[in-house]
Amino acid sequence: MAAPLAEIVMPKLGLTMAEGLLAEWRVAPGARVAAGDVLFVVETEKIATEVEAAGPGEIREILVPAGRTVPVGTPVARWTGAAPASAAPGPAAAADRRIVATPLARRLARERGVALSTLAGSGPRGRIRAKDVPATAAPAPAPDDATRGAAIPLDRVRAAAARRLTQAKREIPHFYVGAAAEVSRLLALREEWRELPGAPRLTVTHFVLAAVGRALLAMPELNRVWEGEGWRRLSSPDVGIAVDTPHGLLAPVLRDAGHLPLDALARRADALIGRARDGRLAPDDLQGGCITLSNVGMHGVRFLVPIVNPGQSMILGLGAAESVFRPDAHGAPALRREVTLVLAADHRVLDGAAAAAFLARVVAILEKPLALLLAPAATGSP
Amino acid sequence: MVQAINRALAEALAEDPAVILLGEDIGAAGGPFGATRGLQQRFGPDRVRDTPISEAAIMGAAVGAALTGLRPVAEIMFMDFVTLAMDALVNQAAKARFMFGGQRGVPLVLRTPHGGGLSAGPQHSQCLEAWLCHVPGLKVVCPATPADAYALLRSAIADPDPVVVVENKALYAMKGEVPDAPEPIPIGRARIVRPGRDATIVAYGAAVHWATDAASLLAAEGIEAEVLDLRSLQPWDEAAVLESLSRTHRLVVAHEAVEAFGVGAEIAARMADAGFDELDGPILRVGAPFTPVPFARELEAAYRPDAARIAAAVRRTLD
Repeated sequence: MAAPLAEIVMPKLGLTMAEGLLAEWRVAPGARVAAGDVLFVVETEKIATEVEAAGPGEIREILVPAGRTVPVGTPVARWTGAAPASAAPGPAAAADRRIVATPLARRLARERGVALSTLAGSGPRGRIRAKDVPATAAPAPAPDDATRGAAIPLDRVRAAAARRLTQAKREIPHFYVGAAAEVSRLLALREEWRELPGAPRLTVTHFVLAAVGRALLAMPELNRVWEGEGWRRLSSPDVGIAVDTPHGLLAPVLRDAGHLPLDALARRADALIGRARDGRLAPDDLQGGCITLSNVGMHGVRFLVPIVNPGQSMILGLGAAESVFRPDAHGAPALRREVTLVLAADHRVLDGAAAAAFLARVVAILEKPLALLLAPAATGSP
Repeated sequence: MVQAINRALAEALAEDPAVILLGEDIGAAGGPFGATRGLQQRFGPDRVRDTPISEAAIMGAAVGAALTGLRPVAEIMFMDFVTLAMDALVNQAAKARFMFGGQRGVPLVLRTPHGGGLSAGPQHSQCLEAWLCHVPGLKVVCPATPADAYALLRSAIADPDPVVVVENKALYAMKGEVPDAPEPIPIGRARIVRPGRDATIVAYGAAVHWATDAASLLAAEGIEAEVLDLRSLQPWDEAAVLESLSRTHRLVVAHEAVEAFGVGAEIAARMADAGFDELDGPILRVGAPFTPVPFARELEAAYRPDAARIAAAVRRTLD
């Protein structure tokens, strides 16, 4: 007698993931797979993830064809192996409740790239109905004509970004503080660093990531975000990096940026940016952190006034380094190299004084960058 | 409506010598509801025949006549007694084209009234059309207006296969315009009676009028219900229902027949499949409760669906 077949299910790849698009099958029925073989690819609104076999087995039947979106936990295939297929094991508890939604609401949510788990239903027993699904930022495709141009439907990442940023700009009471940082010493330090054999390439981005991480370490009470109706204090000095990718803007989070030595920080940040550009981010890469760095300096612009990423409380816009004359102590023009920093913050979480103090701390670290070569003070110390 | 039926029969008799009528009291008496009044005088007793009180004989004769080249229009005075005609209708008329390899059809029409409201008791008030819709080889239509009664009956007589024309007794007295040169209505085509954007009510026969009344009630509450008259139950206009559902995303099916296992069940099941991604609320049915039609006037009034119950269902599906 044949052993009963186990089911491989749509994995839960993040706290808020309620459903996933089965983008591609990498195996066919009858395929014998070993642990670690990629079975299929799941796309959520944030990311594409390869799901691997947890152990050896033979795929017997594919239940969900590529291109279909199914709720988390839906059996997608049957195989002879052990039950679960591995994927980044997400924290499963809260969002495991069954989502009650009408078929039309499910279809609209799928088309608009909205996660049903983020919606509140207005129908009986909390049923999510079409009117509970927010309208997409993308207009309905209109016929091409010479005067109106062509409508371009958005892919999932861009549609999600459009919706999340609209929500952020609408819901988060933004305010902004700006400052210039004198970076002559930092640039000189970088020149010397370049000559070190085996040292990774350092960019201004790396220095600012380190400075922001150190500032969070120094002012841990500001490492917090808005959640529900209050604050959530974060424990790790993580810093997000805004990355322009072929699939749209992504903001993966560099873990523990405040504790990393500069060379390790540079290597990890570059690896993270590379994964973002290749579409290989893991769901966890996009979670956490209270702040993101968005550097537009490579385009030569002076400053950027950014929008806070939903789920965070601050974002730092960084402009290009430029040469300027400033009066010295005697009123004589002195040549300086400056970058302009604009910190956008959520006023529910920080007030102007806190944001200004934080930005001043970042500027101070950038202006005396040798401190970045010291091991950071223990977490939590002032 | 009864005059519209009379006109359709008279014109069919005049145009095609193969058309004959047969039924109880349809000749000299002009039919129990007057649908055949004057036709025997005009076309003679050979073509408009009074039969004994035997539904089996009426149906058997009609099937035989149809197989041998005539186009009989049989009347069974109450749909309740279609039970007695079932063998000829279901086992012979519906099967012949298939069993004879398509060489011979059975171009007969069965006219039969259904429905209550006349305090006629449990054996003279039933709506049994779902039985007939379940039989491959039969077509079933059910007009809601005099104009449709005329046009659907003409289409039924012209059809090469057996067609059951179900007439609602309560609508016989209904007044309505029939054009001098009416457009033919193909069997299987529904009609939007009243457009609306919030919910679709699919109905046929007398329920069409309850549905439009319900739509008026709902309009006062700011709910715009679309009313679709199926007109034809087998085949039914799946495309029209789906098209309407795709605009309103809510569906109520209403009929006078018992709700359980009725025509509404078929429509709800098809739309739960073909229209799944359009649904923004449950599909609801409005029909009679699962019990024989009561005789007492008050009980019958409570038994039959009405505009208020259809409106309540629309509100529930919009909940």
